[in-house]
Amino acid sequence: MSLNSKVLLHSISAVALSAALAVPAIAQDTKTITIATHYNQENIEPILACYTEYEASHPGIKIESQQVSYADFLQTIVTSRVGGTSPDIYNIYSIWAPQLVKAQALAVPPADITDWIKANYAEGTVGAATIGGQVYGIPTELSVYQLVYNKKILAEAGFDHPPATWAELEEMGAAVVKKNDQGVITTAGFAFGPTVANAVHPFYALMYANGTPPFNADYTATNLTSPTAIKVLTDMVELYQKGITSVGNEVGQFVAGGSAMAIMANWQEGGLKAAITDDFDNTVGVAPIPHDAGTPGGTMLYSFLWAVDSTSDVQPEAWELLKWLNTPAADGTLSCTGAMLNGMGALTGSTADTAAMGDSLTDAFSTPYVEAVASGLALTQPNNLQEAQIERILRTYIEQAWAGTLTPTDALTAADAEIQAVLEE
Amino acid sequence: MRWLNTRTITPLLFMAPVLVFAIVFFFLPVGFSLYISFHKWDSLSPPEFYGFTNYVYLLSKDPQFYRTLVNTFVFAGGTIAIGIPLALVVAYSFSQSRFQTVWRSIYWLPMITNIVAVAFIWKFVLNDAYGMLNRGLALVGLPGPGWLTNPSLSMFSVIMVFVWMQLGHNMLLVSAGLQSIDDTYYEAARIDGAHSGNIFWDITLPLLKPTILFLLITNFITGISYFALMMVLTEGGPAGSTNVTSLYMYNMAFSDLRLGRASAAAYILFALIFIVTLIQLRLFRRGGVEAHN
Repeated sequence: MSLNSKVLLHSISAVALSAALAVPAIAQDTKTITIATHYNQENIEPILACYTEYEASHPGIKIESQQVSYADFLQTIVTSRVGGTSPDIYNIYSIWAPQLVKAQALAVPPADITDWIKANYAEGTVGAATIGGQVYGIPTELSVYQLVYNKKILAEAGFDHPPATWAELEEMGAAVVKKNDQGVITTAGFAFGPTVANAVHPFYALMYANGTPPFNADYTATNLTSPTAIKVLTDMVELYQKGITSVGNEVGQFVAGGSAMAIMANWQEGGLKAAITDDFDNTVGVAPIPHDAGTPGGTMLYSFLWAVDSTSDVQPEAWELLKWLNTPAADGTLSCTGAMLNGMGALTGSTADTAAMGDSLTDAFSTPYVEAVASGLALTQPNNLQEAQIERILRTYIEQAWAGTLTPTDALTAADAEIQAVLEE
Repeated sequence: MRWLNTRTITPLLFMAPVLVFAIVFFFLPVGFSLYISFHKWDSLSPPEFYGFTNYVYLLSKDPQFYRTLVNTFVFAGGTIAIGIPLALVVAYSFSQSRFQTVWRSIYWLPMITNIVAVAFIWKFVLNDAYGMLNRGLALVGLPGPGWLTNPSLSMFSVIMVFVWMQLGHNMLLVSAGLQSIDDTYYEAARIDGAHSGNIFWDITLPLLKPTILFLLITNFITGISYFALMMVLTEGGPAGSTNVTSLYMYNMAFSDLRLGRASAAAYILFALIFIVTLIQLRLFRRGGVEAHN
């Protein structure tokens, strides 16, 4: 072997050795941030592109995305924590937050992040991310309930505007009902149910619209036996008793013309547009939730939030990443989260993203939802410690009243007793 | 170390995989769930000793728990009351048929069909306005009830779907029982002038007692602990009419994160299953268990 060959061989060996030694050093410096969300691949595309951009601009940070179905999300958090494999960042439903906070599963944001959230997000959405006076995350997707109606069905019956009061709603609803040869309602005036969200959330929204929240301010007692609550449920039940709707008519049937009206959240716009491809704007209308004269009007909103796991060993990096994902790169542009939500047709609590969404929030479908948030009339879904359990209990009794097996007063009195026991635990 | 010889060790070694499996997947979970039934535990923070509070709450403060227990026993009882006689009739009819294997295969198909697919198909069949069943009733001028939306009918509908799913399984067991009956009994009965009704009631049915007992116990235990169909088909609704205790426990554990209370509910349910199974065994003891063994 010549001298040159030996030098070359030694040089190659030295480089290879250096590289081999360097790899663990680099690996050791790389911090991985795992992010779990419930969004599907199509929805999450904009934010996945942002992860790649962030990794490029932040050497030493690697981002792993976990997509978990909404139905399995809470179980996934629980299981991953038991197994010691928790994601560092979660995108969680606001009503899960109290349980997670109680279990000390969520990290408290640094003071500068908290201040930034309070300064840049609508009050109602900050409220949804606040438990016991402490902000625990950055609000993301915002869902608001309003009255969605089928313009063509109402027009066929001679109505060119949506109902403003419950009495008007009953009159319009009764006029559009169609039945088949067996007497089964094929086009209902209105539809509720059958899920927890489609039974309890319209009830909450109607309570807010009529001026009484479902719970007292500190969630130690319900207002379910209040005159407003009983009036709201009685109004609902009258739709069943008068044949305007039936237990067989469900919110999901609205899209196929199975019902003229329903109380629906804004996130359903995508599904409605996908199904009603022809003449959407002249078919689907949105209006404030009908309420009695002299009551303030309003509705209910709920939110998702970005939160950081308390056991994460990359908490500072996680909050930094979240702030970057939720801050527009320039004035008038959307943040990464904003771009994802805009693609889904969802609303956001971010004032900058709301401004940047511009035209997409001023169309006829979105405007009533945006106005409800902007006016402050959309109030936060109760943030009870056991809200999911409470809503399941309430659903059972609301459905019993709809089916006529309990009177509205008896149903709400029984629900109140059971829910009160949960609140007192 | 005289005990440490090949004769002692070898069987244990052969049994080790089964023993380890049983310890890890049976004894540990059963023991742990008993432990946490006396604790308040959300699985996210350490368990907090709660004494009998979970049991007391379920038995004295939770009317939903009692409602789900009633629903559970109605479901289990309904599936037995309808499913086992139906399986007897079908299996007996097929035993007289020339194409037994074909019929058995057809009736077995629902057992190997995914539960979600089953639920969706039946949702379409039982739909109020457009379902195949109600459209069929309309053809003969009958009204179309809300099979899954009327709280008075929904449990019956769920029972019927479950019976349809289980029929093949039950029918196969009854068929096996029928085949084990010696033909000489039938020949002797015919010689004595017995007609087919006598033969079925006085020979077939008594000799099927062990099979019926087995079906009763296994169907009861399955029915009591079953919730997948309700979860997909009705989500426990309408108005909680199909909310069975297992579904209630599932939501309690994984939606409300009350794992201690859900475990307590599971032990109460276990106690009830145990008592009912003992009663069944006692009722069928003569000509039942012993004959089956």
